[in-house]
Amino acid sequence: MTWIDFVNLLINGLIEGLVVALPALAMTLVMGVNRFPNAATGDMLTTGAYAAVAVQLLGGWPLWAAALGSMVVTALVSAGSYTLIFRKLAGRPMVSSMLAAIGLGFLLRSLISFFAGHDQRTFDLPLVRAWNFGGIRILPTDLAIAAVAAACLVVVFVLIYRTSFGRQLRAVADSADLARASGIRANGLMLSLWLLVGALSSLGGVLLGMKAVVSPEMGWESLIPAFAAMVLGGIGSPVGAVLGALLLCVVQELAVPLMGPSYKLVLSFVVLALVLLVRPAGIMGRVQLVR
Amino acid sequence: MQRRNFVKLGGAAAALQCLPSIGFSQQGDVFRIGSLTPITGAGSPYGPGMQQAIRLAVDEVNAAGGAGGRKLELFTEDDQTKPDAAVLAAKKLIEVNKVQAVLGTWASGVTLAVMPLTDAAGLIQMNVSGAPAISTLDTKDLVWRFQATNDRFGAAFAEICTKRGFKRPATMAFNNASGLGNVEGFTKVWEKRGGKVAAHVTYEPNRPSYRSELQKILAAKPDVIVMGSYLPDTTIILREWFQSGADTKWIIPGWAANPDLVKALGAEVCEGIISVDTVSNEKSASYAQFDAAFTKATGKAASTNIYAAMAYDMVISLALAMEAAGPKATVEQINAKMRDVSNAPGTAVFTFAEGKAQLAKKAKVNYEGASSKLDFDKAGDVTPDFGVFIIEKGQLVRRDVVSITM
Repeated sequence: MTWIDFVNLLINGLIEGLVVALPALAMTLVMGVNRFPNAATGDMLTTGAYAAVAVQLLGGWPLWAAALGSMVVTALVSAGSYTLIFRKLAGRPMVSSMLAAIGLGFLLRSLISFFAGHDQRTFDLPLVRAWNFGGIRILPTDLAIAAVAAACLVVVFVLIYRTSFGRQLRAVADSADLARASGIRANGLMLSLWLLVGALSSLGGVLLGMKAVVSPEMGWESLIPAFAAMVLGGIGSPVGAVLGALLLCVVQELAVPLMGPSYKLVLSFVVLALVLLVRPAGIMGRVQLVR
Repeated sequence: MQRRNFVKLGGAAAALQCLPSIGFSQQGDVFRIGSLTPITGAGSPYGPGMQQAIRLAVDEVNAAGGAGGRKLELFTEDDQTKPDAAVLAAKKLIEVNKVQAVLGTWASGVTLAVMPLTDAAGLIQMNVSGAPAISTLDTKDLVWRFQATNDRFGAAFAEICTKRGFKRPATMAFNNASGLGNVEGFTKVWEKRGGKVAAHVTYEPNRPSYRSELQKILAAKPDVIVMGSYLPDTTIILREWFQSGADTKWIIPGWAANPDLVKALGAEVCEGIISVDTVSNEKSASYAQFDAAFTKATGKAASTNIYAAMAYDMVISLALAMEAAGPKATVEQINAKMRDVSNAPGTAVFTFAEGKAQLAKKAKVNYEGASSKLDFDKAGDVTPDFGVFIIEKGQLVRRDVVSITM
């Protein structure tokens, strides 16, 4: 192994991390505000990817336009699921919402495989050879994926930390009662949040589909890495989710020369366990008081 | 839509199958066969054709007057390519339909789940699954496999490497019984011939990227990479390999390197990939006869579904064993005759009727199947021939057929 190989592994890790960061962020937003782990996030990813495939097949649109169309569709599915299911469960214990989310995930997956079948699909995307900088290889597709993911993260952070929507959201996240008392109307706010989460998941699914293949199980299988990233970053912290995703994926890739590819997943969970032992709230999280 | 219609038709066919059995089950002496093929799920491209082939063979045997003085009666179920669904269907076949043999399981997971049931009931089980574990778990010798094991696929890969003059192969395998079976079979044979394997990578499934795995294996500078993989991971690996600009050759099992792979990646990426799959016993009279019957029944050539010929052979070899065991033979006695009627020595026969005539003359027969020469080894496994397909301009072109000895 030379330093060039390490740089290549590092680049892989960063790009994978950016792809994982989107669902992790979507999950942490819901966790922070609605206070339950949204287990349907993975299947929202799948919904997004299939919506983009469908738009490409039906309309013959280029991928970026298909991705925009799919963001609209998935945002509506997400907001619809909040209105029909999660809003009604708001007062109940966290477990009921989580179980409902698992059920919703199953429903979405079954609907997708019923209409689209189990065969894998791919986006209509030209293959381009990698740029080679003295052994450091960068795939143009990867660069596009990283740029889109990073841009999307910036937009979300601006929304959360620089707009009144974000301030209200953080107020509700801190204390729902206090927020209501100060005149924040929760209903419209929640709908916007779920629209945002849906669009975010959809983009995550499209990016994942660009890298891998589109199949009914794709999102469900990426749920655990996203969940781990969220916990590592500190539950409810948007910056933490992104940092967590990047850290986990980079560690995984750098572990390849040491342990071989079959055990890299294990090592990333060792890192997760170690961080939580030292800092139970995660990298960016605050220790919350039990109410 | 097509799939849904098929499910409906399959369901209706299954329902119709049950009806006459209520009326006639008391009548005469019959041998009951359960067909358990994947009509839905991942095996659905093959299961319906296999079921059709079993039906054709049953009709052929009955038209020749039955086997061992008995007519065959067929019950069909869908295993959904899922072990849990297959177990329910097998229970129904065994307990309700009282079948004496369960034929046609496709996925290894399904076969492994159904085997304990058929074994406990003392029934014959016939499958086309690849996992080597099936042979070792078959302690009562009631399980017959009509497809090559993953081990044999590996041995065929080694044969192809030698024939094509590769010197530095590396292997890459999906971390499960099938993937590892392929590359371990390859390594065993390759090293026995004095060769060295440059590198070996076992990868975990469901990754968004396999670039670091590729980087690791390409660092060993192999001239060919031998795969034990499935379609989705192969798609991702080959895309990243092409984009990174390396120029190794690939040997990939046929279930991963198929027209779907070309569709996903395009002709340029797939150019020159060596895809290996078993082929039917195409030069035999039994294949010609089956091909004609199958084409007439389904409108598709038998070569479109290699498992159909295997399913057809299941019934014919079973019926010949019944004929050899004589009237009123138990399942155990019939099972004991399976190798006698299929393996050499003996007069080569190509249809059930021919075999029945020879057996009536007290001659020893050797059924040469439509799917392979059909010689069962100690574990009840056969060794079909392998076709070597090269992907050229997006088409899989068969360039060679190799035989291996195990």
